[in-house]
Amino acid sequence: MKKMHIIAIVVIAIGLAVIVSTISNSSTYAPFSAAINHEGNTYHIVGKVDKTKDFIYNPEVNANLFGFYLVDNEGTEKKVLYDGAKPQDFERAEQIVVIGKMDKDEFHASQILMKCPSKYNGDKPDQMKVTSSLTK
Amino acid sequence: MEIQYIGEHLAYGKLGNLFIVLSFTASLLSAISYLLSVFNKKGDNQTWLKIARTSFVIHGVSVFGIIGIIFFLIHGHFFEYFYVWQHSSTMLPVKYMWACFWEGQEGSFLLWTFWHVILGAIIVKKGNEWESPVMVTLMLIQVFLASMVLGLEFYGIKIGSNPFILLRNHPDFANLPFIHLPEYLSKIKDGRGLNPLLQNYWMVIHPPTLFLGFASTAIPFAFAMAGLLTGKIKEWVKPALPWAYFSVMILGTGILMGGAWAYEALSFGGFWAWDPVENASLVPWLTLVGAAHVMLINNKNGTSLLSSFILTTVTFLLILYSTFLTRSGILGNTSVHAFTDLGMSGQLLLYMVFFIVMSVGLLIYHRKKVNPLQEDEKIQSREFWMFMGMLILVISAVQITITTSIPVINKIFGSKMAPPADAVNFYNSWQIPLSVVISLLIAIGQFFKWNNSNMKDVAKKLTISFIVAVLLTAIIEYTFRFDRYQYILLLFSSLWAFTANLDYLVRIIKGKLPYSGASIAHMGIALILLGSLISNTEKSIISRNVLNVDLGKDFSNKENILLYKGDTLAMGEYYVTYKGKEKIGVNIYYEIEYLKAQHETGKFEKAFSLKPIVQINERMGNVSEPATEKFYNKDIYTHITYAEVDDKEPASNEDVYKKPVTRTVAIGDTIITSNSLVTFMALNKTQDKKSLFLDESDIAVGAQLSVVDINRKVHISEPIFIIKGSSVFTKEAEIPELGLKFGFNKILPDSNKIEITVFEKKSNSREFVIMKAIIFPQINILWIGAILMIIGTWVTIVKRIRDLKSSKK
Repeated sequence: MKKMHIIAIVVIAIGLAVIVSTISNSSTYAPFSAAINHEGNTYHIVGKVDKTKDFIYNPEVNANLFGFYLVDNEGTEKKVLYDGAKPQDFERAEQIVVIGKMDKDEFHASQILMKCPSKYNGDKPDQMKVTSSLTK
Repeated sequence: MEIQYIGEHLAYGKLGNLFIVLSFTASLLSAISYLLSVFNKKGDNQTWLKIARTSFVIHGVSVFGIIGIIFFLIHGHFFEYFYVWQHSSTMLPVKYMWACFWEGQEGSFLLWTFWHVILGAIIVKKGNEWESPVMVTLMLIQVFLASMVLGLEFYGIKIGSNPFILLRNHPDFANLPFIHLPEYLSKIKDGRGLNPLLQNYWMVIHPPTLFLGFASTAIPFAFAMAGLLTGKIKEWVKPALPWAYFSVMILGTGILMGGAWAYEALSFGGFWAWDPVENASLVPWLTLVGAAHVMLINNKNGTSLLSSFILTTVTFLLILYSTFLTRSGILGNTSVHAFTDLGMSGQLLLYMVFFIVMSVGLLIYHRKKVNPLQEDEKIQSREFWMFMGMLILVISAVQITITTSIPVINKIFGSKMAPPADAVNFYNSWQIPLSVVISLLIAIGQFFKWNNSNMKDVAKKLTISFIVAVLLTAIIEYTFRFDRYQYILLLFSSLWAFTANLDYLVRIIKGKLPYSGASIAHMGIALILLGSLISNTEKSIISRNVLNVDLGKDFSNKENILLYKGDTLAMGEYYVTYKGKEKIGVNIYYEIEYLKAQHETGKFEKAFSLKPIVQINERMGNVSEPATEKFYNKDIYTHITYAEVDDKEPASNEDVYKKPVTRTVAIGDTIITSNSLVTFMALNKTQDKKSLFLDESDIAVGAQLSVVDINRKVHISEPIFIIKGSSVFTKEAEIPELGLKFGFNKILPDSNKIEITVFEKKSNSREFVIMKAIIFPQINILWIGAILMIIGTWVTIVKRIRDLKSSKK
């Protein structure tokens, strides 16, 4: 057996290890119900911020605690507590992803991903703005 | 009857569209003619070559024409064109005109096409016998790229997105009633403009560099395909070598610029965040570096031919894949960058599939000639270790690709995998060990001779640098105290990679510039690894919040500090003061002054002042932009995590209190108000009942509160709890100076606690910011490394071009 064959086998083995570790380390997109059933496991939850309810942020008491209500894709609403400052301009967030776990009746998020339109984005024009500028 | 619209400049758009069609057809014609000129061995190949060149020139001129017209339209503020309206505005400074052009997908495709034209022109001029076969592939690529801006629709299938589409024809506008008025244009006062976040010099220099990097990967690939087309299976490597290194240099620069941009202007909190968009350009660079190295091996001894084919091809395909990832919208929720789908995913897929079929097909056709099975390199040879290095780079690329591709895997298999919750750590757990191996290979590689070398000799030559690296590791470890063995290993291996290459440069090459490219570039890579190791693992968040209420283990984050205007707080070795804010355009500058305490006098002295920004961004929400103070050995990075953007209305009535807050406290407990710290000291039962108009049988208890204000001045306040007959009262106590009032409304005998109500005047709430400050130590090592890598690669390119010229003589 040549050296190259041994090396090829090693490389393939590492390749498999990469795949296995990716799958085993990956988290899951899930609704709140899954996180409730498996308390303690980390989930990515996609949902919309409930803007009818107040955000909980009182920096004078704790600058590192931010809370809000999130409605997941199944329509379940839960209180989400985030261990950090309120993200800049959270009011405008629509669909967001929270990463974390359920704790009793609250979801403890370690990360919040907000969509921000980026470099190569051609987002929809704000039609309201166009029409309102016409009435002036 | 057709409406006659007033004030439109339709002629430019028509001319632009003519150029678009021309650039597409000319590239197709050029590709076919080049192909025919390759296969027609008889006299008429000259005719085909002439047609091919002419159509290349027409294609090039058309591309310049399209770009020129778009600039003209942007400059003239012709908002009847959707692209102009979408990406520019009348207020925009001229220097950002370029940025407007490539902000959109169409513009960035054109930028890419533009670079291919430039690179193609060099091939036509200097390619000699390689011109035709190389240009076949390059022009085929141009056919696909030109189709991206065609903007045609066949039976509902959209081909490309046209940059000259009129505002009134765009689907987002076509249904608005005003758009059908003849004078609609006069209603559109201004364009939507360039996203303010991108109004940054990085946006002017980063995209062209990155796209030149992307475009340049097509050249080694086109050479590889040319080798297969012409049957010159081995000869393509030598002329492709300078191009491969050119690509390594430019793409590498582009990626580093992206990192620098993220570090300097975006609040990612670091240089590299393993964001899918960053990964998408890093992965092809890794395989490209692998390709360039196996091509060197092949150039030297004729082996590693298959790897050269595979890696140049894979690099090019990965560029297409990364374009697909970032533009198809598939990354969706996994990236903080969201890319909207322009409906061209199908077209991008077809683009990829075409070149996969072409390259795999040609390789299979020539499979006998590129058979590597008889190769076996000695482990005493340099080529063996270079080959190993390539394999490690490939493993690294595979790991990043698979993790980044989770959304694609979900799409194909319908699974619901999400990226690892702690993605950064997951990537690091793979990439740090791989970087250790890579840097060890970088250290030893050059000390092996081609073909065969004396192991004892190699070991002897490596001794000095090894010892120096061990010593340096010990010193640095003593300073920083890395606690993970992985970090210590990377510290040592990157130091050794640096010292060994420096040693090689000084003792073996003796500083002869033409031969020093590899050593310089490898020293650069070593420093990049070292700099990112130290600055990332040893970064310290000096903003530690001590004021806030501790909410337990789950919420232990204390990284964001609350700073009231005018207050001075200790932070690391500094004291910081928030001086105030100033609004300039869309940016609000928050002035944060860093002070140092003088030991002798105890006075504060200003060290420096930073102005992090919060940008009021209509299009993507308010964005925070950090400010960084640079020192030779560290950066102090400061950014506003939260601030009230609107100016507070002055309290209309000074005497109005905010909603009172009630707290239950035991003796010794504290309550925090916006300007003081209140401690419940003791109960005072000896009250002068007469002055309270009470009878001896009534009960009156005072709560002694010690109130410490921000100037450390102590006030004593004593609200009184009264039971007169059957009714309960509280006699509030006020501290007018602090705008505070306390009530004592309940005694809870069971728990030995009492209830205190705190009233605060509205005028008490002062302006504040919440900020985060991070020290990145030794980050300059990283930047020095980046510069060395670029210089080293440049030296290599020059050397390879000289070799190529001398081999022709």
